[in-house]
Amino acid sequence: MSTKQLYSITALFDSPDEIIHAASETSKAGYTKYDVNTPYPVHGMDGAMQLKPSRLGFFAMAFGLLGAVSAIGFMTWVTLIEYPLVIGGKPFWSWPAFVPVSFELTVLLASVLSVVAMIVIYFKFPNNAHPLHDTKYMKAVSSDKFGINIQAEDPKFDEKAVTEFFKSLGGKEITPVYFDEDELSHGQKLFDPKFIGILAVVAVIASGTTYFIFNQLMFMPPFNWMMTQEKLKAQKPSELFSDGIGMRNPVDGTVARGFLPYPFKGQLDSVGKYLVNPLLPTKEVLETGKQKYLTFCSPCHGNFAQGDSRLRGQFPNPPTLHSDKVRNWHDGNIYHVITEGQNVMPSYAPQIARDDRWAIIHYLRALQRAQNAKESDFK
Amino acid sequence: MSTTVIDYTKELPVVEGRPTASQIEVVVTAPLDQFPPRKWWYAFAVTLSMLSIGGFCIGMSLYKGLGLWGVNQPVGWGFDIVNFVFWVGIGHAGTLISAILFLLRQRWRTGIARFAEAMTIFAVMCAGLFPLMHTGRQWLPMYLTPYPNQHGLWVNFTSPLLWDVFAVSTYFTVSLVFWYLGLIPDLATLRDRTTSKIKKTIYSIFSLGWRHSNRHWQHYERAYLILAGFATPLVLSVHTIVSFDFAVSVIPGWHTTIFPPYFVAGAVFSGFAMVQNVLIFVRQYFNLKHIITLDHLEKMNKVMVLTGSMVGYAYAMEFFIAWYSGSQFETFVFLNRALGPYSWAYWTMVSCNVIFPQLFWIKKIRRSIPAMFLIGITVNIGMWFERFVIVVTSLSRDFLPSSWGHYTPTLYDAGLFLGSFGLFFTLILIFVRVLPVVSISEVKAVVEGAQPSHH
Amino acid sequence: MKKELPSKVKNIGWALLFVGIVIYVIGYTVNPREAAFNNVIGFLFITSIAVGSIFLIALEYIAGAVWSVPMRRVNEFLGGLVLVAPLVALPMFFHLHDIFHWTDLGAVGTDELLKGKQPYLNLNFFIIRFVVVFALWNLFYWLFVRNSLKQDLSKDQKLTTQNIRLAAVFLPVFAITLTVTAVDWAMSLEPHWFSTILGVYYFSGTVLAAVATATYIIVKFHENGYLQNLKRDHFYSLGALLFAFINFWAYIAFSQFLLIWYANLPEETIWFMKRWEGGMQFVSVLLIIVHFAVPYFLLLPQEAKMNLKRLKFMSIWILFAHLLDLYWLVMPTYANGVTIGWMEIGFPVLIVGLIIVMLGYKMKRHNLVPVGDPKLERGLKFRL
Repeated sequence: MSTKQLYSITALFDSPDEIIHAASETSKAGYTKYDVNTPYPVHGMDGAMQLKPSRLGFFAMAFGLLGAVSAIGFMTWVTLIEYPLVIGGKPFWSWPAFVPVSFELTVLLASVLSVVAMIVIYFKFPNNAHPLHDTKYMKAVSSDKFGINIQAEDPKFDEKAVTEFFKSLGGKEITPVYFDEDELSHGQKLFDPKFIGILAVVAVIASGTTYFIFNQLMFMPPFNWMMTQEKLKAQKPSELFSDGIGMRNPVDGTVARGFLPYPFKGQLDSVGKYLVNPLLPTKEVLETGKQKYLTFCSPCHGNFAQGDSRLRGQFPNPPTLHSDKVRNWHDGNIYHVITEGQNVMPSYAPQIARDDRWAIIHYLRALQRAQNAKESDFK
Repeated sequence: MSTTVIDYTKELPVVEGRPTASQIEVVVTAPLDQFPPRKWWYAFAVTLSMLSIGGFCIGMSLYKGLGLWGVNQPVGWGFDIVNFVFWVGIGHAGTLISAILFLLRQRWRTGIARFAEAMTIFAVMCAGLFPLMHTGRQWLPMYLTPYPNQHGLWVNFTSPLLWDVFAVSTYFTVSLVFWYLGLIPDLATLRDRTTSKIKKTIYSIFSLGWRHSNRHWQHYERAYLILAGFATPLVLSVHTIVSFDFAVSVIPGWHTTIFPPYFVAGAVFSGFAMVQNVLIFVRQYFNLKHIITLDHLEKMNKVMVLTGSMVGYAYAMEFFIAWYSGSQFETFVFLNRALGPYSWAYWTMVSCNVIFPQLFWIKKIRRSIPAMFLIGITVNIGMWFERFVIVVTSLSRDFLPSSWGHYTPTLYDAGLFLGSFGLFFTLILIFVRVLPVVSISEVKAVVEGAQPSHH
Repeated sequence: MKKELPSKVKNIGWALLFVGIVIYVIGYTVNPREAAFNNVIGFLFITSIAVGSIFLIALEYIAGAVWSVPMRRVNEFLGGLVLVAPLVALPMFFHLHDIFHWTDLGAVGTDELLKGKQPYLNLNFFIIRFVVVFALWNLFYWLFVRNSLKQDLSKDQKLTTQNIRLAAVFLPVFAITLTVTAVDWAMSLEPHWFSTILGVYYFSGTVLAAVATATYIIVKFHENGYLQNLKRDHFYSLGALLFAFINFWAYIAFSQFLLIWYANLPEETIWFMKRWEGGMQFVSVLLIIVHFAVPYFLLLPQEAKMNLKRLKFMSIWILFAHLLDLYWLVMPTYANGVTIGWMEIGFPVLIVGLIIVMLGYKMKRHNLVPVGDPKLERGLKFRL
């Protein structure tokens, strides 16, 4: 027995009154390394043991602030810097919408981390190797007794004196508790083969499952239904329609928006009477006309409509547009030619929108006047 | 009315009959040490079958897609969202009992807190199932969280649906921590009581080496207070955020400012009803009538009549403001609720939530087990229909009559709903067999004579 | 157990009341419109304290609380203001046209929305509601206090049972009447606007004002040897109540704001827009700071809730915050932008004077502690 290292002397009491008395006497006697074990928190025990109030509140405060600051900071970063996106017409930094998430994160960090801090920092748990475990004393205070124990570490500790002291307080079952020799000599082994083995199994199972889910399962039916949709794929016949064509013809008589059918087909001579340029030659219209002209007309007609095509030689040359014929045409005639085409020139109706055609005509008129200016133009 | 004269000079005992600490232990831990009786197996078989029906419906929904459900244009939110709100609501009672009543120093909570907290956790699990199913691609839940991904996209922090993700997951985590924290001393007691070696190992691991040390109790109690302090606004925030899902929209009948407190009151209402219903069985079968006393049940009924009346106030206020606002859409929606194609659901809701619970004003009914059980069930039915009315009536008939529709749930919807009940009760049945349904250490502390006399 | 207020305090009360009445009269002669609007603030303020106190009495009975029993009389005294509040409101009835747009029948005739609201928003029904609401409050107040005072002599426990039943009846009545008050006097100032939560919003301020007033008086009494038996635990409970309702107010206010801000419907946002222009935006921000942020952090630590100095400071602060809250609710209807002048500062003087005079009057006649209450002993022994 004497070789065993003593941890503490324990004593049991039957009622909360006795244990309060014992605790206050112990603390009055000057012991510091002692503890009281009770099956439930006894009111007034902290005062009797002269414990300082718990400082856990500061942890909660700090973690809560951490949660709030990181949540607000993160959302600010995402919505202002990383990926600004207008949502619902609200400003990027819509603080009222950030309140719920910030609040939740504050609560989450403050409460969970406080508990973790308490368990790890204050309790130094998990600790199933404490000498008090599996003693009769522990079993008693776990149920209905109230225990007190003074540890051998205490500077004032003396085995006999403490035993006498407990006896004078009316303590029962005063027993010494010793350290477990096995644990003292061995301690915890990190490289225990059993432990390593379990660790390896857990690692293999966890990583294997993760791999399977993300790299295999996602590509198995039914999870791969995004890949097997019944839609038209490029270079493949449609599986949905029996003729294998993905697109359907519109119903007869369908008119696309902005594409009214042209009613003057083949009536180049008379069309000038009916069609009038709906646009005014404003700066914007001329700009549009210039842009469209340079894009669609100039390759053949030349930048200044003189028939000096960049493609000279490869196609039959288009005539100059500064001829008297074209200058005396109505706008409607030119519109007709752009819409219908003439001789080698194909129809440009699919490429050039209606209003753009009229804009081109305004621009063309401007080109014509630049070449054949009248007296009045110089005023 | 009542013939009994109450003596206000004395506090009512929280636990009846002054049981000793070891007597409490024996009665609470008894179900843990015995092989479950036949009745338990019957119950387990029933709940397990319900769960398997739910599992089948989940499997089919996964395989075939959500076309199996009744949701379609214009009612895109159907049973799934109704059930989600319903279960989250049920989950509110637990934290309310353990946190708010703790802060209010209502010591009668001790007998029921553990069980209510467990119910919270299970109910939130059931609740979490539905939005996950509702997303359609249930195997990509990580899209709900802000994580750096290959799309370079972040979640939409201004969406109440995302707030829900944060709120429900936080709520679940904090509830779990709260519940576990309360379990630690009890697990230590179980560890020191048990004779089985396997059980002892398990209890030892989960009790973390708790020694009932007062130096620990001191921090433990503070931590409990802190957690209760955080959980109280948390529990309010969760259903508030659920109400935001509806109320931030411009759908008539959804967009109304009273939704947050009204939803919270409704959640507490239904949660208490569920806790009361289940506790009636628990105290009966586990001989806990002296720990979960009739007084406790009566107090729960009082809370129910209070919250039920709050819900009634909100119904009335909504109706009044719908008229007062002069908005024809609002007015129409409320008339449609009361007189339209879903009027049966509306009147079920009103009668179950507002009218029947008023019977609790009568003391005899408040203290009669069968009566309170029946009213508790009607409250749960009523609260389910409340969510149904809110979700379905507003969506099925909103602004344009040309885009009105009718919602009819399918058998799969019903199967999923049944399955959630199966999950809930299966978990409860397992819980009552593996963990103490009453907090041993807390009950020991509130028995008469458990605290020093001068105090 | 009767203890009178020192005559010095009483004189201050009378002086404040006198000054208040002078300001009242001058205000109504100089600028009746501004005075009437200030009167709305003053009326809602005193109603808050009066009805809030009755609510606290009812709450104590229905919840079976014991800690508040030794100080219940303070609430009972403050509840007496419910008799005076209609007097404060009286001058407004001669200027309703200045305050309420909907009383202008010409404007109502051309406004479809207001026409639709006429069954509720019309003068006759408005006055009927006012009379009924105050009649109910006075009735309940009288019943509560009568039983409580009777108990001082008889120590009859049945009276407590009676009051508990009374409280159960009172609470639904309170919910409806307070909502009616909030709708009539705050929401109908801008008759086109509507919000279902406004009744709850006013309720949160009401309870806060009542608790703050009671806390200040109780602490002051305790320091001057009136309620010596109170312990830290009692003050902690008062502080916790203040803290809880600070949060509750913020919760309700934020819910209302968020939902209206988010949905962005013009008929609703107009109300907040008015509170965000012409300098009112500073008041709005100030309201968040004064009514939530500062009291939240000053009352958060556990020690702060037991610190008498802090509690006194915070109660006065919160009363001011409630006043600011009412100003924020009412004044934007009077004029766009901030209105601040001697009238805005002067009217609360009247209320403070009234409270002191009321206290002096009641304390002369009644016990300061409900000596006959069966729960008193437990209340004094109360420990957390």
